[in-house]
Amino acid sequence: MRTPSATHRPWHSATWLIWALAAAGSVQLAPSPVYVALVIGIAWLMVETHAADGPYRRAFPALVLLGVIFASVRVVIAALTTHNGVDVIVTLPQATTPQILGGFTIGGTLEAGVVLSSLASGFTIVGMLAVFGAFNSIASHYELVQSSPRAFHELGLITTVALAFVPATIESVTAVREADMARTGGRKIRRGRLIRMIVPVLERGMERAIALSESMDSRGFGNAPSARAERKSGWCGLAALLVLGAAFVALVGRAPATAIALSLLGAFLLILAVLLSSRGSARQRYRHIRMATADWLLAGVSLLSPLLLGFVAIVGNDSLAWYASPLVWPTFDPVVALCLVPLLAPLLRLPVPMSGIDVGTGAYEHQPDMAETT
Amino acid sequence: MTAITFADVSYGYPDGPLALQQIDLAVDAGEILLVVGSSGSGKSTLLRAVNGIVPHSTGGRFAGDVTVVERSTREHLPRALADVVGFVHQDPEAHFVVDRVEADVAFVLENIGFSQVSMRRRVEEVLDALGIAHLRDRNPATLSGGERQRCAIAGALASAPSVLVLDEPTSQLDPQGAESVLAAVTRLNADLGTTVLIAEHRLERAAPIADRAVLVTDGRVSLGPSETGSVLATYPGAPSVTRLGRLLGWDPPPLTVRDARRRYATHRPSLNAPIPDLADAPASGDLAISATGISVRLGARVAVHGVDLDLHQGEVTALLGRNGSGKTTLLRALAGLTKVDKGTVTTHATIGYVPQDPNTLLFSPTVREEVRETLTLLGRSDNALVDRWIDVLGLHDLSDRHPRSLSGGERQRVAIAAVAVGGAAVLLLDEPTRGMDAESRHALERAISAHVKEGGSVVLATHDIELAARCANRVVVMGDGEVVANGSARDVLSGSLFAPQVLRVMPPFLTVEEVANALNTPSRNTP
Repeated sequence: MRTPSATHRPWHSATWLIWALAAAGSVQLAPSPVYVALVIGIAWLMVETHAADGPYRRAFPALVLLGVIFASVRVVIAALTTHNGVDVIVTLPQATTPQILGGFTIGGTLEAGVVLSSLASGFTIVGMLAVFGAFNSIASHYELVQSSPRAFHELGLITTVALAFVPATIESVTAVREADMARTGGRKIRRGRLIRMIVPVLERGMERAIALSESMDSRGFGNAPSARAERKSGWCGLAALLVLGAAFVALVGRAPATAIALSLLGAFLLILAVLLSSRGSARQRYRHIRMATADWLLAGVSLLSPLLLGFVAIVGNDSLAWYASPLVWPTFDPVVALCLVPLLAPLLRLPVPMSGIDVGTGAYEHQPDMAETT
Repeated sequence: MTAITFADVSYGYPDGPLALQQIDLAVDAGEILLVVGSSGSGKSTLLRAVNGIVPHSTGGRFAGDVTVVERSTREHLPRALADVVGFVHQDPEAHFVVDRVEADVAFVLENIGFSQVSMRRRVEEVLDALGIAHLRDRNPATLSGGERQRCAIAGALASAPSVLVLDEPTSQLDPQGAESVLAAVTRLNADLGTTVLIAEHRLERAAPIADRAVLVTDGRVSLGPSETGSVLATYPGAPSVTRLGRLLGWDPPPLTVRDARRRYATHRPSLNAPIPDLADAPASGDLAISATGISVRLGARVAVHGVDLDLHQGEVTALLGRNGSGKTTLLRALAGLTKVDKGTVTTHATIGYVPQDPNTLLFSPTVREEVRETLTLLGRSDNALVDRWIDVLGLHDLSDRHPRSLSGGERQRVAIAAVAVGGAAVLLLDEPTRGMDAESRHALERAISAHVKEGGSVVLATHDIELAARCANRVVVMGDGEVVANGSARDVLSGSLFAPQVLRVMPPFLTVEEVANALNTPSRNTP
């Protein structure tokens, strides 16, 4: 079905999804900055070795940056609002918000313990986003869509198309900022820059969206007549939602037995709806890219990491998490580090360089054109 | 057999005037029909009516009937015509739905409901038909313009439609890329009998492959459909050889360099003025920019490598080279927009840079305000200057329009005016004639010569050899990030395989205007 030479991607995208879940689980189970740094390093290594050329490659740095921003905001807020009075670094003027806004104190003492522990938890956010970024840089979203149940095909496709607008918008922002600078001969003028940025970016996005919808329309997207099965599946889905809603009501109403029964029924109806819709769709997919044995093996190996870490945690290991008060350095335990080694497994098979000329020399290869015109 | 029939079709966009008026047109099965006309004449609207995007996606008022292979667009939505009409949008970047070439080609097949077995076979055939099998696993965003355009055509063609509609397929391509795309189209037409409807501004390559042409003016078919040569005989945007033939009174005017050479061999005109000197030295005023040994890296790739370049005042320099040869990067380095890794750029004058995509610049509600905005940003206000640039670039009639409502070529002119008004002595224009019709090109050429006359200088990065021949006095050719030729326009272009058409027929003349001067007769329809 799928050979490495057919796609040049050594591992299936669904495998990468499982890998990412395993890595994210590891970050949660071993939140000490030492191990989070290790996971971020592994994610980076995967991006360097496996990410394909294209706009998504930038997902990794972009999401890491987003994580850093989130974490910094978190640190500032935590430092200003949480106080334990130990290891004070500096005392700032303080203000207490009115009772109606919670009545908490902003400012006052800044403690080393609070800052460090919020830095550490911020770092786990960076770790999670790095793992997510690595997944987005490496995996093909389209391949994921192709391997999902057929009922989700159109939904998945629309999602991937929408996702493609993210790198396009980032590119647009860069181009617009540059054009703005070029307009004044390299002088940066801040006044009114926001509107000069936003209008062209939005309008370009809008024009692109319209063109894309025309392209999809003229290539027959959404042309399938809605079949009877589709309607059946719709009713099934509706019933499933109602039953699940009832289950929730039962749960709130403290009737756990009814709640469990109803949610089981709801889940059954939901699966039935998906199956009906998948069977009913007359359309076939170009390539149903299945996971090969090696993919399943790799997925299993990756999952070893969180499993081993969970085991270590149950046995009891002080090194997994780090609490900044009292002030001590985080410790490093080689056993925990060894638990992270399975996350390196994708390195067992590296991408095959693409046939012939095109990798390496980058984006603008032109020899084939020349050859044909002669 | 007619493949497409327009019967008394009129159409107006919502809140707009009529874009098409009483169009009657029959396109024969198996022919290549070329649609010409100036920007905003309704060419694109006409093309989009073929598979019902107009009016189904755009809304508006529609009258009459369009029939494609016996299906009326009144009863069939665009998606229901996907198996008979392949449509390729002007901007191929917006065409791709899936981020892998092979899967994008299969997209239409999945939608139509092909079986998996026949899909696999069809995709392989289409990849071969367009010569893109080696690109199958690439992300379209990483391809060159020519490759991307061929992939987009493959995506439209996979369903083996009997009609292929191409909206300006070569407007963004270098000569080599344009040739490969048109060669692929010709091959499809010859091998599969596909009917092709193609709208184009740059006709040097597109005109010879067409069987017939039709001229659209103000939403009406004003000439044709008839033989390409007779439609283009009076058209201002005709290829240079056609205009040369018109000047020399050859009837019918030639469409290709080959035709023109044959005619020239038997009908040599007698010239009254001396033949231009081959060694026209570039005008050299004061040094404006001097770059020595500059190299620029983009990621892992060296985009510009060890370039030495001196630009003088009063000089128009054309920067030629295939897509990806480093033209844009060099311009950006000269403008100080990108970091130079090695070497130095010394500037003795102010520099203005107009990016390839004018849309990155435009945000004001009217053209006039857009141009004035630059001065406001620089803390000046000079209405006379604003008016001057609006006039020079022929934007007077458009000055109260919204820049986004204009055509691509008109937007490009607005962007140039908006940058030039800032008073930069050196103007760096990146691909300024993309999507421009003859009239826009003419206005641009006037603006360039006006700017140079006042002691400014202009650098054009362009694929348009004819433009370089008409207005540059120096030509720099780049290849793989290096300067491979640098000298007077006539000198450099003479040795080129992709020389301007007139030079290939009557060396050492570069343009129709030069021949006209030598004949001492004013050239008719100069653009």
